[in-house]
Amino acid sequence: MKEFKHFNAYSIEEAVSLLGRYGERACIIAGGTDLLGKMKDAILPAYPEALVNIKTIPGLSYIKEDGGMLKIGALTVLSEIAHSEVVRSHWPALAQAACRTASPHIRDMGTIAGNLCQDIRCWYYRNQNNRFSCLRKKGGRCYAIKGDNRYHSIFGGSVSGGCLAVHPSDTAPALIALDAKIKTSGRTLDARDFFEVKPVKTTVLKADEIVTEIQVPEPAAGTTSAFLKFALRKSIDFPIVNCAAMITLKGDRVAAARICLNAVSVVPYRAAAAEQVVMGKSLDEAVAEEAGKAAVSEAKPLEHNKYMVAIARTLVKRSILACVGR
Amino acid sequence: MNKDIKNYACPYCGEKCRSADELKEHVFQAHKGRGLPAPEGSIKLTVNKAEYVIRVAPNWTLYYLIHDKLGLTGTKQFCDQGACGSCTMIVDGKPVLSCMLLAIECGGKVIETVEGIAADGHPLIEAYVNNHAMQCGYCTPGFVVTSKALLDRHPDPTEEEIVEALAGNLCRCSTYPQHPIAVREAAGKMKAAKK
Repeated sequence: MKEFKHFNAYSIEEAVSLLGRYGERACIIAGGTDLLGKMKDAILPAYPEALVNIKTIPGLSYIKEDGGMLKIGALTVLSEIAHSEVVRSHWPALAQAACRTASPHIRDMGTIAGNLCQDIRCWYYRNQNNRFSCLRKKGGRCYAIKGDNRYHSIFGGSVSGGCLAVHPSDTAPALIALDAKIKTSGRTLDARDFFEVKPVKTTVLKADEIVTEIQVPEPAAGTTSAFLKFALRKSIDFPIVNCAAMITLKGDRVAAARICLNAVSVVPYRAAAAEQVVMGKSLDEAVAEEAGKAAVSEAKPLEHNKYMVAIARTLVKRSILACVGR
Repeated sequence: MNKDIKNYACPYCGEKCRSADELKEHVFQAHKGRGLPAPEGSIKLTVNKAEYVIRVAPNWTLYYLIHDKLGLTGTKQFCDQGACGSCTMIVDGKPVLSCMLLAIECGGKVIETVEGIAADGHPLIEAYVNNHAMQCGYCTPGFVVTSKALLDRHPDPTEEEIVEALAGNLCRCSTYPQHPIAVREAAGKMKAAKK
């Protein structure tokens, strides 16, 4: 790695002031498992001048229930969420998502906020020494459009002209399905509004803004949730497609449903059409199948990723059925 | 005048202030309750029960510090991307990837490497040899360290727990079936030794 300055921040204000001073030239480091890989490969045209370590900020790692609402500190590592009894019993989709992320070592290092703010894994973007100067690096074009796009978006691109890199987070769809809020140093955002596709950016966070807390509302009576992930390997792998669903039943009818897919589009993809299908119905195999079809009705697969449509359809179906224990 | 500005640089974060009063205000607001600033870039850490105070550069990884600078070459680095688990060390009781951790962030940490585990005469070492849980042996230190951390948490893990805990370690010689056997054997020996 090249040289850089390193600051330990001891409070949120200190981190914000350091980030404000360096602007785009500084990066936040917490778990570091995404950032250091990027820096070692020098994938970006500019190298960070400074790293601001926020692991030193006390009191940002916790899981607590506050009046039914789940509050998770930004620095809480994924393994703690995966093993937390509270999360597993009331918000199973989130625990399952944290449990399926990366490998045990990385779950012991990587934080929940880092999992949300992680960068894309597109192999053109991630190629060493900034080999492909793509749209996400303020370059000329998206190399996946004509190149090998087997792991790219099936719901079209973004950033004028169309970056096709998918968002790789496992916990993001779970948090969106659970209607979570993300508290930053300056504001509170809905999880679904948190993601944004811009050059060298995957979130709406400003350069001097840090995530401080994740807030997940209490599930309504009769609510269950589930998370499923399809990846090529069981461990240490990013999703090909993942899906989280939260279903509220009244009697045997669906009163509310939130279904979110990820790794299929440039930001987590809320399957609103699938939610419409299941609303007011009693859940069985046929309804779930229909919801799966509706979820991918707007898919525009590329040359090499038609298989992802079938996986997305099946995951939506299975995650709905998993919610009702089938 | 410019020279004066330099004199008022914050010792914690380097922010340049225009006067002593401003510096005082800045330190009080941004770094309240933080004790004296440490000499730049020096950290204190415990490696295999020995204490070290070392000056590190910000871009050193923990692996580089321990393998290249402290000369404990038992830990191996393979992918340098956090994907293979071969550089695993135990930091404050958790198995973590030393290639993905900056040395400068390890101040005050207690670190255990495969050398420390061998020096303690941990039954894992013998169990690994007895069960041929290696072929080329390059990934073995990573497996042993991860297994040791597992045994510290669960002295008697089931096969599923072992497989789950070792899911982050890759072995290209595919010695995978041998690892649960070796770890179970070591757990058995530890149990017998306790009685």
